[in-house]
Amino acid sequence: MRDFHLLAQAVMNGDIKAAVAQTQAALDAGADVQELIDRGLIAAMDEVGEKFSKGLLFVPQMLRAAKTMQECMKLLQPLIKEGEVTSKGKVLIGTVKGDLHDIGKNLVSMMLEGAGFAITDLGVDVHPDKFVQKTQEIEPDIVAMSALLSTTMPAMPATIEALTRAGLRDRVKVMIGGAPVTMKYAQEINADSYAPDAGSAVTEAKKLLGID
Amino acid sequence: MRPMDVPVLQPRLKVLNREQALAIHSAALEILEKTGFKMEHPTALEMLVGAGCKIASDGRVRLPCYLVEEALASAPGQITLYDQKGNKAMPLANGNLFYGTGSDATFTLDVETGERRRTVLRDVANFARVVDHLDNIAFNMSMANPADVPIIEDIYIYVFAEMVRNTNKPIVFIADSGTDIAKIYQMACLVAGSEEQLQDRPFLLNYSEAISPLHFPQNVMQKLIFCAEKKIPVCLPSGSNAGGGAPVTLAGAMALGIAENLVGLVVHQLAGRGSPFLFGPNVSTLDMKSTVVSYGCPEWSLTQAALADMRDEIYGLPIWAYAGASDSKVMDAQAGAEAMFSILTAMLSRANLIHDVGFLEYGYTSCLEMLLMADELVAMSRFFTDGIPVNDETLALDAIDRVARGDANSIFLMDDHTFYHYEKAQFLPHLLDRSRYDSWEQAGGTSLYQRCNAEVKRILSEHQVEPKPDDVLKEIQHFTRGR
Repeated sequence: MRDFHLLAQAVMNGDIKAAVAQTQAALDAGADVQELIDRGLIAAMDEVGEKFSKGLLFVPQMLRAAKTMQECMKLLQPLIKEGEVTSKGKVLIGTVKGDLHDIGKNLVSMMLEGAGFAITDLGVDVHPDKFVQKTQEIEPDIVAMSALLSTTMPAMPATIEALTRAGLRDRVKVMIGGAPVTMKYAQEINADSYAPDAGSAVTEAKKLLGID
Repeated sequence: MRPMDVPVLQPRLKVLNREQALAIHSAALEILEKTGFKMEHPTALEMLVGAGCKIASDGRVRLPCYLVEEALASAPGQITLYDQKGNKAMPLANGNLFYGTGSDATFTLDVETGERRRTVLRDVANFARVVDHLDNIAFNMSMANPADVPIIEDIYIYVFAEMVRNTNKPIVFIADSGTDIAKIYQMACLVAGSEEQLQDRPFLLNYSEAISPLHFPQNVMQKLIFCAEKKIPVCLPSGSNAGGGAPVTLAGAMALGIAENLVGLVVHQLAGRGSPFLFGPNVSTLDMKSTVVSYGCPEWSLTQAALADMRDEIYGLPIWAYAGASDSKVMDAQAGAEAMFSILTAMLSRANLIHDVGFLEYGYTSCLEMLLMADELVAMSRFFTDGIPVNDETLALDAIDRVARGDANSIFLMDDHTFYHYEKAQFLPHLLDRSRYDSWEQAGGTSLYQRCNAEVKRILSEHQVEPKPDDVLKEIQHFTRGR
């Protein structure tokens, strides 16, 4: 078994230079790409996620670790053939029609990516039809939506209805979040899950897909 | 002999020197000239370009600093808000300061059960009635984003109707777009008597937010332009919280928030020269563990103290501020400590319009008991900032002479000087408990939360809001009858 301890440590510390060097060194030594990702990068991010959820890390430390991982992935990307490397799951994310507030959504994207999910971010003010079209195209495991305003919240059930009409509702899990959103609201509009913040979005996403 | 007349020092907190103030202002101007902003309202964009702004190849608007100078010169340095009966209530200028509630809390702590639950229209009414009663709370905001509004697009129309039914104090209101704000304006004209009377004696101020960093959406600008044209006082703080919408360092977060506010001011003055604009961003922090925007942090108090210094050095416009809120989920020691910290520092730095009083849970939960506590904390702070009057009456040399040279039983407590002066000379608390242990225990051994709760219930059952004329109420009703 190859030892990825130093790589994992560099990712956890957010030391981009060291992590990239470790990745290169491992590749040069003939490491398997999937193993490097799983036991080096993802393992590091899992530990980061766990420490964060225990309150032992601050958000910038976690985001820096995620960025470090992404920098390492840039080296690996050319070596990965389509479908060869597995992610924890595919997530389609965006703020709903009418809502332009994206700080929370961006944070959720970063955290999910850091935790090993493959993210497709549709940005802000995403029309229900756009969610539908992209769902058909990339077949995500999770569709995640956010709304900051109570006046834009109705776009969430509208998007869920659009997914239903297109016959896609059963094929994806729907996660929602945003300031005025509650668990009760999620149940009312037939979403599968609600996360009050970015950290719990990762936990909820894993739960939805039966990971861990 | 001439009576002694010594001016009273009223303590004033300063946190920036002139060099710091000018450097932050220059940085804000540089942001507008070099980075530019995203303007999504076509008319606003046209006005800006017509006035001298350039649209760069990246589509962002670059704003030259002379437009800022012009807008600062044409915006009035004083905004006076009246109550709904037309009496002068809040002259926002210089160091005058007024506290009020906040808007759009998702949850409230139920007065009967103490449980956190989703807010409803009834909560808007209850908060407005309690605000109507309290001496130290000058204006009203909704404190709720009610879940039981029949038509969600009309949420702010329902909320506004509920507020005018339940208080006569000035109102700071929210609207969604140019559509509902026009209806809210019609309702306000009904309350004031006519459009002319409303413009002459405005009892309302619109709160709206741009999106940090430097993003001005269509609906936000619709409201701003509407207010400029109708001369409704308005403020447009963005959420330039340090670490989230803005840089994590406070100077940069302030520069960005001020730059955003200046864009609002320039558009506003182009749309309605001389219309009233309340200045100031919301520069709190994004908590680095929970990612909530903190309502109990020292940073927000510090940045608004800094803004007050910048007002005095540069802007000359009344400013928007916050206080009396907490990140705590219940009204506990943390809530008390954080509320007092922001209330006292906002007062010492002479912020003008101070909102969010009575919030828990970083603004997600409103709490009537918290509002009651804050009312008393404002009174306590006001006593402190009023300073120590020094004159013949307060030096009390006669009383000292009488008691010291009087018979053996003489005490100050019995002297007439005490009787005539005690009410003003001392801060007399209502809810903070100073009773001796035995009497406290006999009275039920209550906590401050319990006493505030009892007082809220008393106010809700006893306080009568002076009703508006029947015909006004009837017309207001039309706006909320499930159209």
